[in-house]
Amino acid sequence: MSKLSYISPEGLRVDGRRPNEIRRINVKMNILGRADGSAYYEQGNTKIIAAVYGPREIVHNTKAMFDRAIVNCEFSVSSFSTTERKQQFKTSRGDRQTTEASNLIKQAFESTIHTHLYPRSQIDIYIQVLQSDGGLKAAAINAATLALIDAGVSMKDFVCACSTSCIDGIPVLDLNHIEERSGGPDCLLSIQPQLGGVISLNMDSKVSQDLFESVLELGTQGCQKIFDILSLEVKKYSSELLKNK
Amino acid sequence: MEKTIDNNDSQDIVVTPGQRLSKAVDYISLDGTYVHKGYIYSSVLGFQHIVKRNLQETKENKDENNNNNSSSEESNIKDERDFITVSKEKDPGVVPEIGSIVTVQVLRTNPRLASVAILCVGTKALKETFNGIIRIQDVRATEIDKVEIYKSFRPGDIVLAQIISLGDSRSYYLSTAKNELGVVFAQSVAGGTMIPISWNMMQCPITKTKEFRKVAKMDNSIETEQE
Repeated sequence: MSKLSYISPEGLRVDGRRPNEIRRINVKMNILGRADGSAYYEQGNTKIIAAVYGPREIVHNTKAMFDRAIVNCEFSVSSFSTTERKQQFKTSRGDRQTTEASNLIKQAFESTIHTHLYPRSQIDIYIQVLQSDGGLKAAAINAATLALIDAGVSMKDFVCACSTSCIDGIPVLDLNHIEERSGGPDCLLSIQPQLGGVISLNMDSKVSQDLFESVLELGTQGCQKIFDILSLEVKKYSSELLKNK
Repeated sequence: MEKTIDNNDSQDIVVTPGQRLSKAVDYISLDGTYVHKGYIYSSVLGFQHIVKRNLQETKENKDENNNNNSSSEESNIKDERDFITVSKEKDPGVVPEIGSIVTVQVLRTNPRLASVAILCVGTKALKETFNGIIRIQDVRATEIDKVEIYKSFRPGDIVLAQIISLGDSRSYYLSTAKNELGVVFAQSVAGGTMIPISWNMMQCPITKTKEFRKVAKMDNSIETEQE
């Protein structure tokens, strides 16, 4: 065959998963001593560190809002995180992809954090990608959620994100790097798993309406699975803190 | 999913943000919780606490309500509700309050005031410094009109002070008018750590230079060492 077969006739993907399975998730919280909240997040071969500073005094006074906090996000990808070494931009602005990811995370948490509780302050979220294997933005949102919970910032709910796509007419969950290049639509969905409601929804490429709905349904199920894992890890972390007291 | 609250185990329940705790009509929402569409949810990771109202207070309310009409029953229902709160896992940050004794470092001085950074509140170190100023009229209680800032504080000094006001939107107002407040650590121009020799004088042990400072009254043991 000249074409790569993403899903085998037995219904397995290139890494052995079924279409509705997510990659293995590893979580560690409170890994950075200097940060107010931090988390290490691993989903398959994608590895991310998130750190949260604040609520703290605003550095630039012109940005201060008298009635609520502002949320800042900085998303950076290590040069060694991809198969080909990336050039690090000297300016802090970065390229278009990191700016897009920063704005996506910033907007997601502006709607979730109770910003009215912290007037005239700022909450800074820093995301560092250590290893990249697809699903970067979804993993970054999940990592930032854990870091914010570790920091004790008041939030409405978790924000759980998952990437889905459609390959050969079959909806698949949690793409890896190979599947992201298959040419199918890349749909990123983040939801509030307990309150309900969609935080953000992004999609590339074209897809028919009925297929889109099945992809969305699969994404919701994936986010719910991720929430179950994260919630378990957070409570385990909290119980361990109790024992150490 | 709605989680039933068991009062016997309230001290051991770990809740996460977004977890539904109860209906809004059953409890009054306090710190760490919020109300959304008739339900109370947790907003931070921590332990759930149910704080019961004072029984005597509740009893008095019931007695009063016996003499009133049905409109007071609503207040009776409200009064009988317990409080529900979620305490944060980590200790909350320390915030300077009026009357606190704080440790500050002098950043800048001008003839009217000294700009300082608040480093500690009592014996607790702050994660982030707060801005404060010591105005010329708050340096000491006597001879206020003769105070000169450059003879009281210099940049880099560590000062004990007391918060007297929340001040303006940018700085706390501090005072060193008491004997126990003032400079506790200073370095001379030559770089040596100076030793206090009187209430307004410090001396460098290396160069023997004397410099003016508003010195804090220290413990007797230190005074004995000077003699």
